[in-house]
Amino acid sequence: MASLSLRNIKKAYGNNAPVIEGLNLEVGKGEFVVFVGPSGCGKSTLLRMIAGLEDITGGDLLIEGERANELHPSERGIAMVFQSYALYPHMTVGENMGFALRLSGMDKRAIKEAVGRAAEVLRITHLLDRKPAALSGGQRQRVAIGRAIVRQPKVFLFDEPLSNLDASLRVQMRIELARLHRELGTTMVYVTHDQVEAMTLGDRIAVFNAGKLEQVGPPIQLYREPRSTFVAGFLGSPKMNFLDVETAGAVAGNLQLKLGGNQSLDFGRTPVGTLPSQLTLGIRPEHVRVVPAAAGLQARVDMVENLGDTQLVHTALAGSEASFSIRMAPDAISPRVGDVVGIHIDSANALLFDRTGRALELA
Amino acid sequence: MESVLSPAASSTAPRRRKRFQSWKWAPYIFISPFVIIFAIFGAFPLIFSATLSFAQWDPAAGFGAIKWIQLDNYKFVLTDRWFWKSLGNTVYIALASGLPQHLVAIPFAAFLSTLLRGRNIVLGAYFLPFITSSVAISLIFSSLFSKDFGAINAILMSLHDHLPLIGQLLPDHKVDWLQNTEMVKPTVSFVVFWRYVGWNTVLYLAAMQTIPEDLYEAATLDGASITRQFWHITLPMIRPMMFFAVSLTLINNLQLFEEPFILLGDNGGTGQAAMTTAMYMYRTAFYFSDFGTACAISWVMFVIIAVLSYGNNRLFKLAGGED
Ligand SMILES: Nc1ncnc2c1ncn2[C@@H]1O[C@H](COP(=O)(O)OP(=O)(O)OP(=O)(O)O)[C@@H](O)[C@H]1O
Ligand SMILES: [Mg+2]
Repeated sequence: MASLSLRNIKKAYGNNAPVIEGLNLEVGKGEFVVFVGPSGCGKSTLLRMIAGLEDITGGDLLIEGERANELHPSERGIAMVFQSYALYPHMTVGENMGFALRLSGMDKRAIKEAVGRAAEVLRITHLLDRKPAALSGGQRQRVAIGRAIVRQPKVFLFDEPLSNLDASLRVQMRIELARLHRELGTTMVYVTHDQVEAMTLGDRIAVFNAGKLEQVGPPIQLYREPRSTFVAGFLGSPKMNFLDVETAGAVAGNLQLKLGGNQSLDFGRTPVGTLPSQLTLGIRPEHVRVVPAAAGLQARVDMVENLGDTQLVHTALAGSEASFSIRMAPDAISPRVGDVVGIHIDSANALLFDRTGRALELA
Repeated sequence: MESVLSPAASSTAPRRRKRFQSWKWAPYIFISPFVIIFAIFGAFPLIFSATLSFAQWDPAAGFGAIKWIQLDNYKFVLTDRWFWKSLGNTVYIALASGLPQHLVAIPFAAFLSTLLRGRNIVLGAYFLPFITSSVAISLIFSSLFSKDFGAINAILMSLHDHLPLIGQLLPDHKVDWLQNTEMVKPTVSFVVFWRYVGWNTVLYLAAMQTIPEDLYEAATLDGASITRQFWHITLPMIRPMMFFAVSLTLINNLQLFEEPFILLGDNGGTGQAAMTTAMYMYRTAFYFSDFGTACAISWVMFVIIAVLSYGNNRLFKLAGGED
């Protein structure tokens, strides 16, 4: 049985155009699902609807098979960790974590035990008597998570929980969250803007675009086989390169593509079904190689960035001004700015999209 | 030594000094209006009244008539029946008007903070008495509370006659709100309460609006009902404002003067039932021309207010677990 089922969920504020429309998603028991998408696409709104902080305009929300649309937030068996932590400033860490249990009328000893256990899992036992003001950002985040754990919810909801932390702490907390998920085995729904968090934490990633679910699937599947240019461009940094191309006929399963600046490309494969004349070719920076100028597509080098573990070469293809990036090994001899180089596209890893952005299946 | 000074040095020195000085004095000139006004209307009366409290002086007889009598004024004040009576009146009215002010303003502000529209109109209506002249307020209430022609008695009488059950609890005769010794203090307290409840509501509402919304959301998820949220989130979060508002009420109510003075006249009503200490001090100075004693009363009041404010401070710190 699914832990969380969203069936045709809709949300509109007042009489405005709906923010979320006709959304369907099933989250399995113990699964870790990450929501990603551009700012304002409705991720937080959806999370808040699941939590019960926002009314559901239409559709059904099922938690462990039971309709929960009208259930009070505290009766849904969910716990939420806010981006701002939302710790009660006048209560100690221990009181913060035990607040829900206290309200439910549990006796003091049992509360203390439950809080102590959660504190141990999160390694904050020594902080239990402090007020939130006396904690660092990372510690506050732990307390916020601890407050959620203590209630033993069926589903954890996280809304960008790590975005207020500095980079190194974020990495550390990310690893701890993964550990926590392994140990607790509870269903988790996690909103983030961070690619790495999405790729590493999620069993599945759900990509949102303007209130609609664009694609759901395991991280690697989304990365390798995006169903649209939106998903392809959203995951991966630097972004996937997109080239507008025209088909110049296919010979024995080998598609010929025409690019700007009178260049042409032997694509090697061909799409299944009818062949549109206008296409978009997508290729990730790591699947492009720099070759001698005569041996590939002509491109001018605009900038070279050395990130230490990798080098990024930003170029402009002849006949186009769009930026085209290439990832190179850190020790490779990189071209210099202004050089004209050749580019080899590894078509085994390239994708083709029609002009509406939908991916074409390749033979 | 004069001959050592070179002509060049002596000719540049005065010019430089002049420029330097105007620059040096400018800041003092800019702050002087405040300093002068404070010195005349703040510091001087403070020091003069402190000095006078150790003297006997009838201002009509001029400065030469000041007679030093050490602590006699204080001894007199502390054994004066009328001083203690006025202090009793003051404390009665301060509590009877001050406590309800806060007990009403806090829940009322909490209610207003949930209103999506019309909040400012309601708030404005309640705030209006605070910015209205106390003379106008006292005149209106004099007529409302008037025994024979006042609206309040008229309403009470008609409710007594026509309202079933509870109507019987209301008085069957006209109440002499402003003359009856029993009624004077509650009446004055009510007017003071009415006047300042809006002010306190504004303070509390301002404090409540700074509480982050996500605390309430977290509490909702934790299973806190609206009343529990009020107890466990709102009240602790407005504690600093409560301290501030209660301190202001304490200081203002213990110096209460205008409302009883205009409502009841300078003697504080029948049997001086609502003569506050501030009024007594005023009478001592301007009716009995005993400025020394009046100054002593004001300094005793100062000590009382200071002690109570400190106590208030400790109380709030203790209640908040000292942070
Ligand atoms: N109370 C509201 N009234 C009207 N519109 C709202 C309200 N709250 C949010 N919205 C709109 O709903 C849309 C989705 O907002 P939401 O906060 O869910 O975005 P998000 O995906 O979480 O963005 P971000 O990544 O920036 O957090 C936005 O266009 C926003 O303007
Ligand atoms: Mg958001």
